[in-house]
Amino acid sequence: MIRVATDRDRCIGSGMCVLIAPAVFDQDPDDAVVVLLDESPPETARPAVEQAVDRCPAAVIRLLPEPADRV
Amino acid sequence: MSLPALPLPDEDRQPFGPPPEYAALRTAPRLTRVTCPTGLDAWLVSDYAGVREVLGDGRRFSTRPGQAAHVLAAFRGPDSPVEGGFSQLDGPEHIRIRRNFAPQVSNPRRLAELQPLVEQITDEAVTRMLGSPQPFPLHSQFSTAITTAVIAELIGVPPDRRHLLHEAATALFTTSTTPDGLRRALEPLWAYLYELVATRRARPGDDVLSRMIEHSADSERPLTDAELTQMNGALLIAGFDTTASMLTYGLVCLLNTPGQWAKLCARPELAASAAEELVRYLGVGIGLLRQATEDTAIHGQPIRAGDYVVVAVQSGNRDTALHPDADRFDVTRRPGAHLGFGHGAHACVGQQIARIELTTVLRALAERVPTLRIEVPLHEIEWKRDSVVRGPAELPVAW
Ligand code: HEM
Ligand code: SF4
Repeated sequence: MIRVATDRDRCIGSGMCVLIAPAVFDQDPDDAVVVLLDESPPETARPAVEQAVDRCPAAVIRLLPEPADRV
Repeated sequence: MSLPALPLPDEDRQPFGPPPEYAALRTAPRLTRVTCPTGLDAWLVSDYAGVREVLGDGRRFSTRPGQAAHVLAAFRGPDSPVEGGFSQLDGPEHIRIRRNFAPQVSNPRRLAELQPLVEQITDEAVTRMLGSPQPFPLHSQFSTAITTAVIAELIGVPPDRRHLLHEAATALFTTSTTPDGLRRALEPLWAYLYELVATRRARPGDDVLSRMIEHSADSERPLTDAELTQMNGALLIAGFDTTASMLTYGLVCLLNTPGQWAKLCARPELAASAAEELVRYLGVGIGLLRQATEDTAIHGQPIRAGDYVVVAVQSGNRDTALHPDADRFDVTRRPGAHLGFGHGAHACVGQQIARIELTTVLRALAERVPTLRIEVPLHEIEWKRDSVVRGPAELPVAW
């Protein structure tokens, strides 16, 4: 499991994250701001989420460190 | 002591840019200070990490002076020639505008609705081209015709008014246009759009403008007529020439890089990666301008509040930090987090639309016109010299 967070205040609704990882991200139909569908997606989603972190123009998406009790 | 000049694209010397000087600048330990064509002095950032850092931090690096004020004479004065232009806003005011754009231009469901429109316009253009005499002027009759039709259809501008956006874009993108010249050239498009806003307020349709009006109506601060005019004007002006030039320039690159066109024709499904690679390889040769809002540093180089910074986007995209062989053009590569559509809060509003257009057109040409060839050798192509949107002025082709 990985942990993902978004800072919606700075999202410009570019849609990159949804194109890259549609199982994890969606956009609000109203203002196109990112909606996190899954805060803790399975490990298999890591490459796509990393790519979304890299390609989000507004640096909105973060991959959080594993909680200490799980490391 | 006078500073070195900002190295600018010179397609006769380096047809697919950037100028050779950037290879050394990119790896130099320090930033260089340069003089830009409009006379302002700026720090030049030409490596991937540096370009990404500057574009990604709108708090420290503002677009207030205008994104191309380093090359556009019209932006030299203290007042912007584009009144109320959101491109020169930062922070929450800018985000508010972007959030009114996004549902119309970058929401996947909305984009899925656009795909059939782009396909239809493209198919008709290919059919028209195949029925035309050869050599055929590809840039004006094909690339520009397609991208103009797409954006004009989206906003609902009828064919007899589309010359307005061509005239406005020519003035805005030409480096030598004066501030007054630009205001005068934009006036007819702005006047027409004000009228169109009033019409759509009274009788909404299914176009982008009507949807923006409807969408913002229930928000805390509905878009004003001036804002709607600005936003739709920006889409119309920025929407056709950039993409058309990328198509025409892109075809020159595809047909002049050994094996690339053949690869695309053998596997037209490569069109999406080819389109992305073209934007990485050819995008924003002219660079983008920012201004520091506070005393700060880039790569350890102190930058004072008020200093100008030019980011050499195309050079950044050729950095080995992005790809070990970044100087090679390869339609099969996944270009990754390139900066060809910019980065940060001002990253291209229309990038998803541009992707759909480029991919659809490249695919259609690869499938229907695999024998496409350029009728002049590379060194005889006439390049646009006085424009910030680079590429051939015209391209005679045959098939
Ligand atoms: C291949 C085609 C295109 C390329 C290479 C391109 C490139 C860019 C770049 C690099 C920026 C960022 C400027 C900056 O950070 O200062 C930008 C902004 C912009 N683009 Fe594009 N663009 C393309 C197509 C389009 C299309 C099709 C549209 C409209 C439908 C469009 C509308 C805009 C607008 C309105 C902005 C200003 C955004 C802002 O300041 O917030 N562009 N474009
Ligand atoms: S990629 Fe970033 S800016 Fe774009 S919609 Fe997703 S979170 Fe928002």
